Amino acid sequence: MPARNHSQWLAKPKLEGGEWIDSRVYSDQNVFDDEMERIFKKVWIPVCHESELPKPYDFRTTSIAGEPIIIARGPDNEVRAFLNVCPHRGMLLERRPSGSFLEGQPSGNPKRITCMFHAWQFDMKGSCVYVAREKEGYQDRLCKEDVGLRRLRCEVKFGGFVWVSLDDNPKISLEDWAGEPFDCLRKSIDAEPLEVFHYHKAIIDTNYKLWHDTNSEFYHDFMHYHNRVTGFNDAYFARKNFAFKHGHVVVGTFEVNYENYEGFESRGALSFPHLPPNQWYMVDLFPGMNFNLRGSALRCDVVTPLGPDKVMIEFRGLGLKRDTPEERETRINHHNSIWGPFGRNLHEDLIGVAGQGTTMRPHTEPRQILHGRHENQTIHDEIGMRHYYDEWGRWMDRLPNDPDQPWHERNPGESAEAAE
Amino acid sequence: MHKNGHDAASVVRDTIYRATMALDDQKWEDWLDLCDENFHYKITAFSPEINKDMIYLQGQRKEVETLVRLLPKHNTDHSPLRRHTSVYTVDVADDMSTASAVSSFVIYQNMLDGVNSHLDSGESRLFLIGKYHDTFKLEDGKAKFVKREVRLDNRRLDKGSHWPL
Repeated sequence: MPARNHSQWLAKPKLEGGEWIDSRVYSDQNVFDDEMERIFKKVWIPVCHESELPKPYDFRTTSIAGEPIIIARGPDNEVRAFLNVCPHRGMLLERRPSGSFLEGQPSGNPKRITCMFHAWQFDMKGSCVYVAREKEGYQDRLCKEDVGLRRLRCEVKFGGFVWVSLDDNPKISLEDWAGEPFDCLRKSIDAEPLEVFHYHKAIIDTNYKLWHDTNSEFYHDFMHYHNRVTGFNDAYFARKNFAFKHGHVVVGTFEVNYENYEGFESRGALSFPHLPPNQWYMVDLFPGMNFNLRGSALRCDVVTPLGPDKVMIEFRGLGLKRDTPEERETRINHHNSIWGPFGRNLHEDLIGVAGQGTTMRPHTEPRQILHGRHENQTIHDEIGMRHYYDEWGRWMDRLPNDPDQPWHERNPGESAEAAE
Repeated sequence: MHKNGHDAASVVRDTIYRATMALDDQKWEDWLDLCDENFHYKITAFSPEINKDMIYLQGQRKEVETLVRLLPKHNTDHSPLRRHTSVYTVDVADDMSTASAVSSFVIYQNMLDGVNSHLDSGESRLFLIGKYHDTFKLEDGKAKFVKREVRLDNRRLDKGSHWPL
């Protein structure tokens, strides 16, 4: 077909309903606000790895859906999560990304979470243990027992990641949420403790789902010279996408021929426990987390949506905690060669989603985004995205190809929110 | 003083600045011509987030040669990088055979692609900052890079970071 006029351009594609979506899903502020309330404040998010706070009193700070969070390891070795907000007048309790509460601070004592503003102090279980001039100020009307921190649901699971839910009563347990998709990796990532060796972040002018879409299909490997030369063979194309409940997808494995790329080497000798040499599994978790095990290194991407057209992506690389220095260095080199910020693939992926973000800024004309490739569920089949947006429609009660329309009216008898 | 009359420290400074210009112009071979056969290149950063020293990229000269030779086969952001380097210290060994230097660098991205080239092209943005920790071999009045460690202060690295720094 030659280039189309405006009405032809806007006409619905000759595809089934679930095979294309409306670009407002990626660009509309109201959709984004709904996503924060209906999805991100309800689901389990892996906010960091336990190795980032290895000792009692270590902490990490993070955020979900704009809510600031502290993760702290107590003297009992338990990892707990709290809202990083002082119950007094709303000051951010801890401003650093990480550290130890063993150290005293100008406003407070060691072993306490201290608000620098008015010196209220909390222990590692979130209990308030000191209110400055408590009796003088509040007499008997309010006491420290009344003003503990807001505790959040927190579990350490699936390879030692720290998972947090802002929902006090999550409708789905973490095991039910992600256990099945993690089955393919569990023996490898739970065989022994893992350790984070890599961290960097990117803030990209694009919608968070476009990053997850990229992780959910391998059709974009035509963008990657590295993948074309190391991978494109029958086994590569034969891998399948497996859809799991709650919108998750797993990509099946195959043996990568790293030797085909000049300067690269086999990762067989350092493959994760129970993982056959040079195999490659990928788990895409709704609504935007990715776990990618390429033989010797595990990569984890976590998105923090910042707006309909802005996302922060945190990239972590992990190896085995028991690695010798030499093993660790080799593992890091393997990780960096493809996934590092100066590696062969990651940079291209970021360019791809940034380009999509450019065409889908807020207030740009809505258009159709096609997810209609069918190739027997193999990796160039866009089933991963179709599965994701079916789930997204339930959670949002919006039709992905007409987001102003409620999902439940087109799907009578089915629960609009997947978690119910 | 070297026998050819050059001050060794000046030679080291001159080599660092020539490397800056070669990298700015993406003349990778000219840059590697300033490097010894045993050259080792490394980009590192300390992450307060995970409390670890990290390696973002490293390789011997042969691996760096492969990397730059394959760059044209990879998609990349087209915005060139422009470095401002200031040599802070040069320490020449007593036997005048080696030297080490610490330089500060600021790298700007001279936007060509941007998010939308219609809007962004033509402006410059701060891209990365850090220090070069260099080691040199001094021979015949010349300084050759034996080792360069690029210590970044950044852990945020957006698109546009595909090239040696």
